[in-house]
Amino acid sequence: MVARRRKRVAGDLEAGVPSPPGYYAIPIKFSAKQRASHYLYVREHRVREGTQSAWPQKRTLFVLNVPPYCNEECLTRLLSPCGTVQSVELQEKPDLAESAKEPKSKFFHPTPIPGFQVAYVVFQKPSGVSAALTLKGPLLVSTESHPVKSGIHKWISDYADSVTDPEALRVEVDTFMEAYDQKIAAEEEKAKEEEGVPDEEGWVKVTRRGRRPVLPRTEAASLRVLEKEKRKRARKELLNFYAWQHRETKMEHLAQLRKKFEEDKQRIELMRAQRKFRPY
Amino acid sequence: KRSERERFARVMGPAPTGQQLRGATGGPEVIEPSFEGTGKKGKKPSSRKRGVTESQVENLLQPVKLSKAELYKEPTNEELNRLRETEILFHSSLLRLQVEELLKEVRLSEKKKDRIDAFLLEVNHRIKRVPSTPESELTDQAWLPAGIRVPFHQVPYTVKGSFHFLPPAQVTVVGSYLLGTCIRPDITVDMALTMPREILQDKDLLNQRYFRKRALYLAHLAHHLAQDPLFGSVRFSYTNGCHMKPSLLLRPHGKDERLVTVRLHPCPPSDFFRPCRLLPTKNNVRSAWYRGQSPPEDDPPTPHYNTCVLQDTALGSHVQLLSNVLGSAPGLKDGVALLKVWLRQRELDKGLGGFSGFLISMLVAFLVSTRKIHTTMSGYQVLRSVLQFLATTDLTVNGISLCLSSDPSLPALADFHQAFPVVFLDPSGRLNLCADVTASTYHQVQHEARLSMTLLDSKTDDGFQLLLMTPKPMIRAFDHVLHLRPLSRLQAACHQLKLWPELQDNGGDYISASLGPLTTLLEKGLGSRLQLLAHSRPPVPEWDINQDPPKHKDSGTLTLGLLLQPEGLTTVLELGPEADQPEAVEFRQFWGSRSELRRFQDGAIREAVVWEAASLCQKRLIPHKVVTHLLALHADIPDNCVHYVGGFLDALLQGLKETSSTGEEALAVAICYYDDLSRMLWGLEGLPLTVSAVQGAHPVLRYTEVFPPTPVQPACSFYEQLRERASLLPRLDKPCPAYVEPISMVCHLEGSGQWPQEAEAIRRVRAAFQLRLAELLRQQHGLLCRATATHTDVLKDGFVFRIRVAYQREPQILKEVRSPQGMISLRDTPESLRLERDTRHLPLLTSALHGLQQQHPAFSGVARLAKRWVRAQLLGEGFSDESLDLVAAALFLHPEPFTPPSSPQVGFLRFLSLVSTFDWKNNPLIVNLNNELTAEEQVEIRSSFLAARTRLPVMVIITPQDRKSSVWTQDGPSAQILQQLVILAAKALPVLEKQLMDPWGPGDIRTVFRPPLDMYDVLIHLYARHIPRHRQAVDSPAASFCRGLLNKPGPSSLMPVLGYDPPQLYLAQLRAAFGDLALFFYDQHGGEVIGVLWKPTSFQPQPFKASSTKGHMVVSQSGELVLLPNIEAILEDFAVMGEGLVQAVEARSERWTV
Repeated sequence: MVARRRKRVAGDLEAGVPSPPGYYAIPIKFSAKQRASHYLYVREHRVREGTQSAWPQKRTLFVLNVPPYCNEECLTRLLSPCGTVQSVELQEKPDLAESAKEPKSKFFHPTPIPGFQVAYVVFQKPSGVSAALTLKGPLLVSTESHPVKSGIHKWISDYADSVTDPEALRVEVDTFMEAYDQKIAAEEEKAKEEEGVPDEEGWVKVTRRGRRPVLPRTEAASLRVLEKEKRKRARKELLNFYAWQHRETKMEHLAQLRKKFEEDKQRIELMRAQRKFRPY
Repeated sequence: KRSERERFARVMGPAPTGQQLRGATGGPEVIEPSFEGTGKKGKKPSSRKRGVTESQVENLLQPVKLSKAELYKEPTNEELNRLRETEILFHSSLLRLQVEELLKEVRLSEKKKDRIDAFLLEVNHRIKRVPSTPESELTDQAWLPAGIRVPFHQVPYTVKGSFHFLPPAQVTVVGSYLLGTCIRPDITVDMALTMPREILQDKDLLNQRYFRKRALYLAHLAHHLAQDPLFGSVRFSYTNGCHMKPSLLLRPHGKDERLVTVRLHPCPPSDFFRPCRLLPTKNNVRSAWYRGQSPPEDDPPTPHYNTCVLQDTALGSHVQLLSNVLGSAPGLKDGVALLKVWLRQRELDKGLGGFSGFLISMLVAFLVSTRKIHTTMSGYQVLRSVLQFLATTDLTVNGISLCLSSDPSLPALADFHQAFPVVFLDPSGRLNLCADVTASTYHQVQHEARLSMTLLDSKTDDGFQLLLMTPKPMIRAFDHVLHLRPLSRLQAACHQLKLWPELQDNGGDYISASLGPLTTLLEKGLGSRLQLLAHSRPPVPEWDINQDPPKHKDSGTLTLGLLLQPEGLTTVLELGPEADQPEAVEFRQFWGSRSELRRFQDGAIREAVVWEAASLCQKRLIPHKVVTHLLALHADIPDNCVHYVGGFLDALLQGLKETSSTGEEALAVAICYYDDLSRMLWGLEGLPLTVSAVQGAHPVLRYTEVFPPTPVQPACSFYEQLRERASLLPRLDKPCPAYVEPISMVCHLEGSGQWPQEAEAIRRVRAAFQLRLAELLRQQHGLLCRATATHTDVLKDGFVFRIRVAYQREPQILKEVRSPQGMISLRDTPESLRLERDTRHLPLLTSALHGLQQQHPAFSGVARLAKRWVRAQLLGEGFSDESLDLVAAALFLHPEPFTPPSSPQVGFLRFLSLVSTFDWKNNPLIVNLNNELTAEEQVEIRSSFLAARTRLPVMVIITPQDRKSSVWTQDGPSAQILQQLVILAAKALPVLEKQLMDPWGPGDIRTVFRPPLDMYDVLIHLYARHIPRHRQAVDSPAASFCRGLLNKPGPSSLMPVLGYDPPQLYLAQLRAAFGDLALFFYDQHGGEVIGVLWKPTSFQPQPFKASSTKGHMVVSQSGELVLLPNIEAILEDFAVMGEGLVQAVEARSERWTV
């Protein structure tokens, strides 16, 4: 089995690694010690005409199947022989409609544990992309000069990182809340200005903060109102007053019994099928 | 290769294995029924496979849909009648249908009846043709052919009288077959052979002469019948287990061998013996003959001996009576059949002195004669009335009688009470039908009847299932069990207890003779600790006709079951009378050397017995000490003859160093510190909002953490020190430090309108609170604290608590969605659900289970054993902590048909039984915490469950706080994992029960805790050096690594390393990277191996897609480019990602195809 496999691997190397149409396969390994390698599938980043993309055309390399131990920094290093790398963005899955991401707080949004990812690598020059498309592998993630931590090393350093600096946290909270308070104050200011002032068509906006506050527009509130109405109506109704009402309740009772009976029969059928009536 | 794939598919369920059931449309692949896929490994033809999937669709209950026309059509008379009948005669229509089905299952079919009838006719002919023999002395048995042994212990051998064989005067079928109340399996037909008068002599009543003749009669019969090719087997047995009355068993030859067993009972002509000689006060076994010496006073009465004779004379009249009563009433026959099933499930009907089917039929006849049962009643009503009668009367005090005549010559009931523990007289007024029934057996019947009545009255839907379909084997029904072996010790016990008259009465059967006195002795000694003491009944042996009857000591072991009283278990003191009172002497005699004079705080000086027990687990085992002490003292049974099964499983809960406790005390200590801390939080000054509530949210705080936390005293030199943040860090060159899990708690603040109304801002404000909390606790109480954005860790007396501040409205704000119209509606999001679970449901659950532990002290042990087992099977990841706790809680809140467990052992057995038999697919497990759900609400929950089945998780657990969504099982288990657990539990239960019921010791009790590893495709072996909980393993290693802890508390100003468990970190990485391809299994309690199972779907070649390349490679397969997992690289990744932790990756390469 192993022998067969090895032979096949050798054969692959001679014939060139098979790659899907439009992509180029680059073998990648954690270090020189590993025998088998993963394959990065790379191509030039292109989008259809008219679609917006956050990454510059021609200069961006789209990389599939980036192993979990390979981070941005490492990918930059691996691809820099092809040309100067401007930026590397790792994502969980290909995302075309890329919106500008604001950097998230490391205290409140810890980065999830990575799996296999996709990468968008932007080179400074288009030549970087074409050079990458002829790159011969295998690439090595961790080398003597640039070791990448894994296993126990990584977990210990992760643990050290997870011990938060309370001062930094406090500063972050304070700056955020300051900005937030300003934002809220501005909104309130605006609402106050609009209060009671008709717009150009003559409509007056009624808010909760006015002199006569209105019901909040929430689903729960509207359901409550409906429920109240229903109860009011139910109070006025007469039950079992007419003969037909009597008849109907009786029939309803019978129908309930029948339904229950049907259900029970089904249950029994099922238990019989499972041989649930064998007592021992 | 294909078969491997198929095997895998079968283990893991149907082919498209979505990890999660939820969202699967139609949901046919919910769970395979438990009997499929259990161990059948052969190739199945594909058509069969389709059958399986189809039956799965059938096996799921669908909500019933009836058309309007069907629902509202005019009812027919017949329908109305049936509905009315159901309402009057049965509890519900479901019960009626179930009872009908059950009866169909146990009834004998007409076809078989015909075959049996034909066989009986043949038997009759053969018996009549057995030749007669010349007359000879009883002691001269030379005429018996060689190869036939007399089925009787002839001790003493010499006896007067002569015997000769004549064919029976009459052969009649008696018993349940004739009445039509016999039930499958094991159909037996009783035949009475009336011996001709000529055989018997006047004084045959005396000194076992009648019984010896009876045995010789059978021996001769056996010799002739055994030569007949009609019979497949001819063997001896005992009638009702009575050692003086052998009977002959005949089974047909060939394929019918298992169809029926015919039992032949020789009996005297019904008027042969004078009834006045057989009263319970008369003696018919002379001491001079039996013991070879005359006693100083009169010969003792021999009530049992007399009863045995009377039983033989009354066979015909009893059948007459029963057929009169039951003959024309099908409802009564149904009732008797149901009652027999009921008794059988409780193992009450078998063996010597069992509560047999005949007894219960007579009881029905009695209730008919007293008009408590009417002949038109349904089977269910008969069952109910009989149970009601059993539950509310006490035949040990007030016996009953079927006798209607007021003849003054008849003996009084009081005479019978003197001679027998339980009294129920037959119509003649002379025969006690319950003569063999011991008081313990009767109390057990009473106890069961009471339990069943409360169950029937409680209106739960499953009364039928629990009452008639659930077996109650002794080991699962009783908290502790003890075996007495070898049985020959009981002979000595009889002498020690001076039971010679009883031996004489029972014809030397020392087991029956000593059973009564022994149980009374133990009941008295165990006193308030005991709820019920039951004993196993010696099985009725069967032996070949060329062998001697088995000796008394060969009838296995005597097993006693103890049902304990949890309240009584807490005391270590047995308080006796005051020293100067006359009872003190008796007390001293009873307890022997254990009794001591003690002075109590109120000044009284009393006799008392004190048992040494510090921990709950030792207190639970005091009954063991009591039993061994009393048996040795009074019955001369040394403690190596008593095998007490009660605490074997405790070893799995005990920590390595202390074997004296199962951890309840350590958990209580942690809870005590938690209480201290919450008081500190309440009184904290300087918080912008005051603390309104502190709630626990951790298994430790509900007594269900498998291994209780111990206070940590880190040795600083073992760690890297991060002084500026007052923390310790693990060091590379040292083994992994001890695992410290923070005990989480939730802190609620008083309401305020000042909170921001935006999720991000709320998070910041919460973080500010966490920081402030840390600061204040440090300032005001000098505690070491460390705050992060989401929680504050506090080190208090060696325990680390994790406080989370909660804001009540936060889940709601997370849920808010604004529609385009500006309407704000609430929609559940994953984040809001998580928050709600952690801050609302979890504290509620924790406090409810904490309360449960106060009510049932065994809860902690049961829940922890259950969790320990599930995790040891490497399935712990699939089941949340809380879901397993709830399953364990269900055993206490809904113990029917048992009583709540009082020992971890029995609770764990029931856990296995519940898990393996519960129909998770069609039923929610309702755990009625604090009894908050009414019966109506439960019915409603069940029906809404059916309607919403496909949207609910595979395993649904409903609590009063969580009536719809089953929060704790939302994230797993998947159908396959649950199925795996069901299979494993079903396998483990019989193994463990067999071990515990083995009178010679359980062997290796950890057997069922070791996981099967042969099903995994890849095994990743880990270095013990980096497994912090290595010593918790099922097979605890003799030596492990230093974990950086000091024995003595040292001054520490640094926070220990929290929650650092390399195997868990490694698993998280593996799951993130390869979760789509494989499943990873690991035992968090010190497992040294990770099991990897490839998903069957991951090896199907897929066309290239940019989104599905993760860990795959492109391969050209028959000219096409397809994606396949890059197995070799992945295996190397396993080693790379776990560098330092992984010892070896063992690929079982034949298991998958590349």
